[in-house]
Amino acid sequence: MILRIERARPIPTPGNATAIMNAGHRSARHIASRKGPSICHARISPYSSAATATAPALEAQAQLSSILPVTSTSLSQAYQIRAGVVLSRPPLLTRDLHPFEKSFYLYQRRLNERLALPFPRYFYFKKDTPADIDWKRKMKQRLTPARDIGVYNPYGPEGWNDEVLVGAQEAEPAWQVKRLLEDADASAPESAGADAAKGVEGAAVAEVGVEVAAEASKKKAEPVERPMPRETEADRKGDQRSLDRLMQRSLYLVVQNKEGRWVLPDDQIRGRETLHQAAERVLVQNAGLNMNTWVVGNVPVGHYSFEYLKRRPHPERKNVEELGEKIFFMKARIMAGQANLADNKLGIKDFKWLAKEEVQKVVNQKYWSAIQNMLTDR
Amino acid sequence: MASPIPSPGALRVLRSSVNPKLHCQTQIRHASLLRRPKRPYTFTQLVTLSDGSSFVHRTTNPIPVYKSTKDVRNTPLWNPSSQKLLNIEEDEAGRLKAFRAKFGRGWDAEVPDESTETPEGQPEAQREDSLMDLISGYSREAEKKSGTKGTKEPAVPSGKGKGGQK
Repeated sequence: MILRIERARPIPTPGNATAIMNAGHRSARHIASRKGPSICHARISPYSSAATATAPALEAQAQLSSILPVTSTSLSQAYQIRAGVVLSRPPLLTRDLHPFEKSFYLYQRRLNERLALPFPRYFYFKKDTPADIDWKRKMKQRLTPARDIGVYNPYGPEGWNDEVLVGAQEAEPAWQVKRLLEDADASAPESAGADAAKGVEGAAVAEVGVEVAAEASKKKAEPVERPMPRETEADRKGDQRSLDRLMQRSLYLVVQNKEGRWVLPDDQIRGRETLHQAAERVLVQNAGLNMNTWVVGNVPVGHYSFEYLKRRPHPERKNVEELGEKIFFMKARIMAGQANLADNKLGIKDFKWLAKEEVQKVVNQKYWSAIQNMLTDR
Repeated sequence: MASPIPSPGALRVLRSSVNPKLHCQTQIRHASLLRRPKRPYTFTQLVTLSDGSSFVHRTTNPIPVYKSTKDVRNTPLWNPSSQKLLNIEEDEAGRLKAFRAKFGRGWDAEVPDESTETPEGQPEAQREDSLMDLISGYSREAEKKSGTKGTKEPAVPSGKGKGGQK
């Protein structure tokens, strides 16, 4: 005997969502009032309005089944509900500047020289102290107190000449930081060297002079500590498992499941756990305990649903047929640690930390169209 | 011909009948002098925080590079899951024990997690029977009780234990 299961309304797709909501709305309510509390209406609602919806509608409980009027009493249908995790490492560095931004900021700094009050040297440096002498010496070289605008005198006859050529190094942030560090290098040892020279002239003992000169040269050899480079080792090697790569972009964790497909980590909701708890469990079981993560809120940020080519019986409940899967993604952030696939219980073969366009290259197209709006461009 | 042009007298009467405040409705744009703002001279400075991260900002400070020793990156308040910044008591020379023997435990810093024992391992039952200690002990008990009711666990996801230390 072949069971014919009549459907009251078609399976919702993004295209006909509003039609379903309008047409089948009342019938869905009717069915819900008959059948009981835990029902999946397969309702498509935008995730931005989900936060304002009523509480019972938000809870994605376990054992949800889409209730459809069946002609036969024996078989009902369900979608497997899974919780997925969008685990992101936000950018650790500010982004590089556009050339227009660089030249604009340089222009603004040079303009500020003419518009702000002059630097009150007497306030910061006492007369004839080493710092004061140092300052005066440097001012002669660069004509202005600022160190990051090149050689420019705002008050002299050449004050009108404040434009730099296209591609000049003064506009580059890296050059500006380099100039600041050189200035800091030149401060302490130079003044020590000058003092030592004066000391040698004043003192009569040649040995003391030699020692002092040696000390001064030692001090000169120790420059100020440089900041770490913006491009890390992982960038140069292209190591996609490293969390230190692409410091200006957000990285997302994708894993290769046992079927060999690259997906965001997910797992079926087991028991009566909430999406938040399921997401935490998914992270621990997929990627290990050695990650300091935070799952944000109780509301999912995206979903992906698909149907099996062949319906399969529900593994646990009798007389229930599984039509497909619905994966609800939770947003999570990683603050410290790294993924470790050693004891993972879900057969994960490999993991990668990828930026948005790199994720597009490894996942399926239908999956990508479901997840792309959860990922950020930077 | 449409409406005739009113005479100046008629216009005057008309104007005076209108509310004097609404008399002139056009914009008045007389040139006015704005005093130029006096802004202090600002430099660009490279600030290096305690964990090595650095950024560039504008400041009136003439020093080119500023290295900070105590900032948000090595404060336990802003790094709650860092083991390095936890206030773990290490009584190497035994001076804390001597202090407590003399002055009691009323001056102890508040321990965030009641279940963990200090390395000294002094259980609550062992307390000297001095009056001051009893008083300070009772006040501390009262504080603890009110504290545990009011405060929650620090913001670490519950459920599974997580390592994740830097």
